[in-house]
Amino acid sequence: MTPADERLRALLEMDEPPARDPAFSAAVMEQVMRRRWLQDLGFLAGLSLVGGAALWGLWPVLEPALIAISGRLAPAAAALAVGASALAALRALPGQGEVPA
Amino acid sequence: MILEGVDEALVAAAQAGSTDAFSRLVDRHQQAVRGFLRRACGDWALADDLAQETFLAAWGRIGGLRAGASVRAWFCGIAYRKHLNARRSASRSRLREAAWQADHPSVAGAAAEDRIALDKALAGLAPDQRACVALCLAADFSHAEASEALGLPLGTVKSHVARGRARLLSSLGVDDDAC
Repeated sequence: MTPADERLRALLEMDEPPARDPAFSAAVMEQVMRRRWLQDLGFLAGLSLVGGAALWGLWPVLEPALIAISGRLAPAAAALAVGASALAALRALPGQGEVPA
Repeated sequence: MILEGVDEALVAAAQAGSTDAFSRLVDRHQQAVRGFLRRACGDWALADDLAQETFLAAWGRIGGLRAGASVRAWFCGIAYRKHLNARRSASRSRLREAAWQADHPSVAGAAAEDRIALDKALAGLAPDQRACVALCLAADFSHAEASEALGLPLGTVKSHVARGRARLLSSLGVDDDAC
């Protein structure tokens, strides 16, 4: 590198930002996370719309089937609800889930 | 080589959706991208805005970055296109001008005169020529890497660098024909 190039380079290096700039990186990542959140939100909203539309379209078929099986499912659903409640109550008891010393 | 390996691993992780990996890529390359944009557009505040937009766009496109590609060149390529788009928006530049005047650090003595002359000469270069100078003379990019980043033919990059260098040296009052 010639002295002229070194002089030129030294002048150009006055524009050099710091090697590490946490504030800049944080600002970038904040925008990235915001964009990711919006994408997730858009995806879930789309999924909900599609699901709702599918349910609306299939409801004439689903409704009679659900009415037909609901009588048979009722005892099983009740048993599941009782089981889940019992499990939740047992977990809430003192001393449950603690690791012995 | 080791550093390139780190970049490759970080890119692979970012492509799999890791924001932590992308954050590390931002940390590692923000200096190169911001330095390039500052030299390419001469407006520090605008350059930092464009650098943020660059990384945001890069996050959306990182899935398309092929394995083994220069990450630095890829970031600078996106930055260059952002810069060209910003140039077309003259009103935005005018809004930023006042802020830049306040933010730009002043330099003292003989260096100040050189710096003013250099800024004037840089402003007189065509955007692609200025980008070539910013990458090859100030940021240690090879001609091939600059060609990849800017999407310009290798011969064009070489001639832009040679002519840009001659003009900048001439503005500093240096008579140097060697390229």
